[in-house]
Amino acid sequence: MDAYDEVSNARRGPDEPEGPVSPGPGDTAADENDSADADTDTPAPASPPVAETDTSIPAPASSSSADDPAGVPVAGADTGRAPVPARSPAWASRQGPYTPPPPHSPSPPNASPPPHARPLSDGTLAPAQSPPPAASGIASLPLPYQIVVALALAVVAVVACVHVGMVFLHVAPSNTMTKQHGQAVDDWVYPEFEQNWKLFAPNPLQQNIAVQVRAEVRKPGGGFRETGWYDLSALDGAAIDGNLMPSHTEQNELRRAWDFYVSTHDTENRATSSRGELSERYLRRIVVMRLDRELDGERADGSGGVVERIQVRSRTTNVPAPEWSEEQVSDKPVVRELSWWSVTDRDRTEASAE
Amino acid sequence: MSPTTPVGPTGPTGPAGTTSLTQPADLAPGNPPAGGGGPLARLTAAVGSGIARVTDNALGPYQSAIVRIGFAGTWLLFLLREFPHRRELYGPDGPWSWDLAQELIANNGAFTTLMWSDGMVWFEIVYAVAVLSSLMLLLGWRTRTASVLFMVGVLSLQNRSVFMGDGGDNVIHLMAIYLVFLRCGQVWSLDARRERRTRERPAREGLGAAAGPERPDAAHADRVGPLLWCALGFVLLVATFGGLVPGGFAGGWLTIFWGLWVVHGAWWAVHRIESDVRPRVLLDIVANLAHNAALVVIMAEACLIYATAGWYKIQGSRWQDGTAVYYPLHLDYFSPWPALSDLMTSSGTMVMLVTYGTVIAQVAFPFTLFNRRVKNVLLAVMMTEHAAIALVLGLPFFSLAMIAADAVFLPTSFLKRLGGWAARARDGVVRRVPLGRGRGGSEGSGQGAPPPEKETAEQAHVGFTA
Repeated sequence: MDAYDEVSNARRGPDEPEGPVSPGPGDTAADENDSADADTDTPAPASPPVAETDTSIPAPASSSSADDPAGVPVAGADTGRAPVPARSPAWASRQGPYTPPPPHSPSPPNASPPPHARPLSDGTLAPAQSPPPAASGIASLPLPYQIVVALALAVVAVVACVHVGMVFLHVAPSNTMTKQHGQAVDDWVYPEFEQNWKLFAPNPLQQNIAVQVRAEVRKPGGGFRETGWYDLSALDGAAIDGNLMPSHTEQNELRRAWDFYVSTHDTENRATSSRGELSERYLRRIVVMRLDRELDGERADGSGGVVERIQVRSRTTNVPAPEWSEEQVSDKPVVRELSWWSVTDRDRTEASAE
Repeated sequence: MSPTTPVGPTGPTGPAGTTSLTQPADLAPGNPPAGGGGPLARLTAAVGSGIARVTDNALGPYQSAIVRIGFAGTWLLFLLREFPHRRELYGPDGPWSWDLAQELIANNGAFTTLMWSDGMVWFEIVYAVAVLSSLMLLLGWRTRTASVLFMVGVLSLQNRSVFMGDGGDNVIHLMAIYLVFLRCGQVWSLDARRERRTRERPAREGLGAAAGPERPDAAHADRVGPLLWCALGFVLLVATFGGLVPGGFAGGWLTIFWGLWVVHGAWWAVHRIESDVRPRVLLDIVANLAHNAALVVIMAEACLIYATAGWYKIQGSRWQDGTAVYYPLHLDYFSPWPALSDLMTSSGTMVMLVTYGTVIAQVAFPFTLFNRRVKNVLLAVMMTEHAAIALVLGLPFFSLAMIAADAVFLPTSFLKRLGGWAARARDGVVRRVPLGRGRGGSEGSGQGAPPPEKETAEQAHVGFTA
């Protein structure tokens, strides 16, 4: 539906008439334009050189037409271009030939629809030099339209400012304003604009946290056996090693599930929030799925079985201090062991249920 | 914002030239108006020209295009890379099961079409739509529609399994929303090419001078747009009456989707009115306003990302003692190349320089925007650092997303050069493709010019669309 998006861009060249002849007329206007500098740049439509080269400033005194309050500029016409009045905004030249001059518009009406507005020099230049017929510019619109534009401008400006402000307060540390209006900020930001950019900050993680699991497996021939500990994080690490594009399943799934569990449980592994139960179920499903993948290999030789119960633990090891550092950190791992969980059908994913 | 006040019907409504017309007493004839008049006149003139600028133009066409291409490409690559794992990540029976997601989403009200059904077929459809919409947006085919579908795809998948994502997903999530408001298909898009060809057709046929307004022709010729609009309207209708879209009509998702749908329809309709151009102008202005605001928000978002990342780091003891960079490189989850990590951190001085440099660059970035040259230098530094992060920390999609966000600050001249290179590279490839290959041939013959000439034509196009 935006087939005409390009249009707005084609009519970029307010200084086109006085610009040097160049293969791409649009270039001259925008070449040195930098979007990041857009705010500081002097807007092109008012650039003084235009006023100096095109002498007819359409002041009422010099108006060439008595019944036309805005004056009909003629300076540009003999140059073979659309009759753009000096210093007149770009949209003045863009009005379609069929645009009725709005009675109270301060813009000069298009007295002479330029038949030569589409120079057919070589086809490639034509579009650049011919302003598309779509008119533009507030001033070309009658009052009711201008009011709508003003409203739209106000709404857009306010929404954009409020949004940036809300996001700022969301990412800023807790402060006077967020203490007073935290709910308003949360209402605005959640759920779709939530963000956290404390990337490796304030301090990067300095421990490797390995999530490990062992299971009680019902053997095919009856009876149970307890497996050894499977280091699922080490398996993730092995999958990531030498990988240009690690998958989220290797890099984020288990790691973030464990973070989720830790953040919703106290050190006694009691849920501290309503999401605690969700995190337990999530962790169980990941672990059972991974465990089944590992056991699959063993099933082939008949020693596998069905996972009945599992126990999860984390083993946290400090990253050793750099060689060039005199720091001493303990290399003793800290183990956090959860209680045994019975595995039910709802803990089994499709992959593990087969 | 003060610009809202003087836009009233009696105030100066246009750029400086218009102002001079409405306040002739302030200006001696022949004086450059910018220099004449009191401070008030200058202020109103500046405000007026500012308003004209943001209403008349969708600023930064190249920047918005590169952001569009960057994010669509990143998400597309991600979806393709995760294709074998898609069911585990987002499927109804992944570890984060449909039931778990249901419970969480009942609480936080996030939008995802994947909760409409727990069927595997529906999941596959949504994933396919996400892939296709990324491709559409990347190529700029029906850009505005594609951007809405892209947002739906991104939100649907990410909100379905929030715990699978990382910072890269977070950036894509935000930008997918902002892209909806951006006129990001002005250049480097199939839409722009189609528009150019429609405009050129009468000229080539010798009708140029007589044709007059050919835009309605374009609107008449287009069948795909209305079809797409009707199809999506039907989907929306079903979703609405099925009670699938949360949030209701008052400011919720229903308002947004129906609003976008109506606006797209209105856009099409006003381009068919040949007698009155004013509605068209009005919609154009509103589209420009939304675009420019979205562009500012994207820039502000990028600045907030760097500012947050930088200022919080300052408070960390590891960033203060200059060892911070050593640690992520030695985490099992972020060291795909342990030997490389060791090599990079073998010198304490180097680690400290990189650590301090990172903080300085991140904190400084928003302020460097005031100086074009410094900004460009820092931009290059940031992009390089992200490229390094992609490899060394094994975070390619996060890095790509950040580079795409950074790209909004790239200078137009550089982007145009980039476009020129890309066009030349493409033409080089097209020329080498044997003529038997229909697609390459039609691409070249579309302009009816032999290859060398086409190259120049393409460059002229690049210039034109600036």
